Amino acid sequence: MVRVTIDGQEVLAPKGQGLVETAASVGIEIPVFCYEPRLGPPVGACRMCLCEVEGLPKLQAACTLTATDGLVLRTARTSEQAAGGQSAILEFILLNHPLDCPDCDKGGECPLQDLTFRFGPGSTRMQFPKRTFDKPIPISPLIALDRERCILCYRCTRFSESVSEDGQLVAANRGAQSIIATFEDEPYRAHFSGNVLELCPVGALTSTTYRFRARPWEIQNVPTVCGLCPVGCNVWATTREGKVARILSRNHPEVHEGWLCDKGRFAYDHLRAEDRLRTPLVRVRRRGFEEASHEAALDAAEAGLRAAGSSVVVAFSGGETVEQATALARIVREGLGSDAALLPDDWDAALDAFRAPLSAIRDADVCLILGDDPVVERAPVVDLWLRAARRAEAEVIAVNPAGDVQAAPGSAAQVCADLREGKKVPTELRETAKSLKSAKRVALVWSEDDPTGGRHVGALANELHENGRAEVAVYVLPRTPNGRGVATAWYTVGEGRSDPPGEGEIGALVVSGDEAASDPRVADLAARASFVLTTAMFQSELTAWSHVVLPGTSYLEREGTYVNLEGRPQRLRRAVVPFGPDELEWLAQLAERFGVAIDPWAAPTAAEQADLPPADEFAWSRPDPQAPPGKPAGPGLELVRIGALFSGAAVERIPQLQFQRPAAEVELAHEDASTRGIAPGEAVVVTSNGTSRELRAGLNRKLRVGVVRIPAEHAKDFGDRVQVSRLSTGESR
Amino acid sequence: MSPQPFDSLKGFAVTFRQMFKKPITQQYPEYKRPVYPRFRGRHRLWRHENGLEKCVGCSLCAAACPADCIRVVAAENTPGNRVSPGERYARIYEINLSRCIFCGYCELACPFDAITLEAEFEISEYSRDDLIYTKDMLLAEPVKRMPVADRDLYDTPTPVWKAES
Repeated sequence: MVRVTIDGQEVLAPKGQGLVETAASVGIEIPVFCYEPRLGPPVGACRMCLCEVEGLPKLQAACTLTATDGLVLRTARTSEQAAGGQSAILEFILLNHPLDCPDCDKGGECPLQDLTFRFGPGSTRMQFPKRTFDKPIPISPLIALDRERCILCYRCTRFSESVSEDGQLVAANRGAQSIIATFEDEPYRAHFSGNVLELCPVGALTSTTYRFRARPWEIQNVPTVCGLCPVGCNVWATTREGKVARILSRNHPEVHEGWLCDKGRFAYDHLRAEDRLRTPLVRVRRRGFEEASHEAALDAAEAGLRAAGSSVVVAFSGGETVEQATALARIVREGLGSDAALLPDDWDAALDAFRAPLSAIRDADVCLILGDDPVVERAPVVDLWLRAARRAEAEVIAVNPAGDVQAAPGSAAQVCADLREGKKVPTELRETAKSLKSAKRVALVWSEDDPTGGRHVGALANELHENGRAEVAVYVLPRTPNGRGVATAWYTVGEGRSDPPGEGEIGALVVSGDEAASDPRVADLAARASFVLTTAMFQSELTAWSHVVLPGTSYLEREGTYVNLEGRPQRLRRAVVPFGPDELEWLAQLAERFGVAIDPWAAPTAAEQADLPPADEFAWSRPDPQAPPGKPAGPGLELVRIGALFSGAAVERIPQLQFQRPAAEVELAHEDASTRGIAPGEAVVVTSNGTSRELRAGLNRKLRVGVVRIPAEHAKDFGDRVQVSRLSTGESR
Repeated sequence: MSPQPFDSLKGFAVTFRQMFKKPITQQYPEYKRPVYPRFRGRHRLWRHENGLEKCVGCSLCAAACPADCIRVVAAENTPGNRVSPGERYARIYEINLSRCIFCGYCELACPFDAITLEAEFEISEYSRDDLIYTKDMLLAEPVKRMPVADRDLYDTPTPVWKAES
């Protein structure tokens, strides 16, 4: 600890702490624009933090200084020189800043406005014309750039360079001519581009989806949790006049450090999609679907379920709250006497022993990523943590067909087993095994579907913990936002679970939510069921199979609890009121008819910014799981489907997000492409299972030979192996 | 103070004198007395000389309004549909005159002098819904013409906030 004097107050601060935080700890504000500790070391670009330091003749940028013993700092509160300096800096910043605050979307929540009001000059001496640019420039369909308003704090470019590491936003030109631009004026296409909107301290970067929709005094901010991926980022849902107008991040330093992906930030408008189901639909014989009253729909649902007896299968989507899942599980188990369920993600409770906050990834020595799915597509913010770990000089090893270690597709369980054995490690894994052995803190990330509930990676973690004496954190990334909570809810209500029957008739199928409705396994069950009850927000192929369709709600319209991939229960709040009863209310009314009492109101359980529950006592008693046998080799190339982040019912309904959706592209290894004479960007024909599709070829030098990767939505009806060939020259020319 | 009977008589005398004076009752609907120059009646939205609306839809009037009777929904000007100078314009501008207390804060808050309170005060309708004035109604020339007194008769200097801007 060192002693610093700020405005005559003595402060004890840890050595090396930034002066902005040190001053804030005693309630003294040092105004800043460019300073943002989450973006890495300070740059001192805006000079707003000018303060007087005793012994130095000139004003110093306080954000770049750290606490050292005996430092005497005088801020604008006590030093006239500092006050004059800050005022002059503001006048200088405002030289070229247009005074169009009434027009500007940031007006009312603009740090430049606020700080000018408090520290700046009252009037302008500027009498000559200001610098002008074309405006607004859409740097992507989501972001509009206004270069006139930019004060060149470099927050956005620092984010792009050193947090998301996409390097697409750059400062072009020099000195007074500097402008923010995208590289080569390409659209800013990245998973985390929306964060620059929140970082910008002026109205230079504005969101095209929020532009001009509301003013800060016209909105209500509802603290809730994003329900579009298993990370569970804390967000503010800004509502105006009963509609969600934007999503802002609510910094939870252990979960997402205030960063959001573009899906979470921009996909909210699917609530108001025109094709949303608003009334219950009941299928009437020979007439098709008819809109029904709530009572009639419940009658039909009850009749269908009663006719099925105990031959009922429930298909969860993983988007339900814990309360909904519990209610549904109770109806099926207690009311109908069935225990057949299709869970989107299974979960092994023994993994709780390796529970750790996501921020622990940054502190790890070695991060091992297993599984075929790219982490950024499955749980985007985890990718930011892994990048932070790499910047903190951790060793980040991805073991997948396109990773640092090029494993065969679907071999993650085998890799776990190999690394656990210790001896006879395959050659390509030898380096990895060595790193794991010497590491003190290990983070294991499992990024693909695992029907054994993460037991493979759990066994590896146990081995590292027991024999390697390492601190191990395990992150099994579920496919769905609340897959972990739904699985826990299902096992809490009753004992065990039987898988849905593989063949034969099913009495009734209950499909809960849109994610389940797009699952091919559910479609297979629906074809065999004599009664299908579906809850969905949108029409899909599955609702066409259904007999009763109840309108569903989105995560922004529900109260309840979500459990994220860390195992942290977080509170979901109702940001906007749905147009009808939400699922919990439907389920409560349905349960009443089967003699099960369910509270239609979700009790608030988790705190606003939830802590991670403590890890359980170390108890790994499960038998070591067997790695599944490798798939037999066959002709052609092995297909890996990528479940892209920007896909699904919500994204499809946001016009501004369409450019983010995966391109119709097939990724080929370099050798595979050259043996077939395929050049990058060329159109190729991909054939499998009697289906053929024309896709663009992309080369990936890191991809394992004999493997191709195709986004899942472009790989429909494909088998496990595909043939790739050039379009015949006649067609392509 | 003089004794009681004299005071009463003085009062009667005042009353008696009035009987010979011409009454000053004004026949209101037929005769409209000019309102003061700075009278605050119904709002009016203004246009620039080139026909563009002065209002840019910044919602500052709605923020200033103590009765919360103004609703502004903004939208973006496009080259094909330019409504106001600048980037944004008021797509919806509604004043609920059944709630308005005619304080004039909206006029003070407006950075473009787009809204002013004019002379009209005969705002009565058979339905409350009809008291919600939309942007078209506020932009139009008022149907009723209210006489306004000559501002030179009164001590009405140009307000500071108008003189300096």
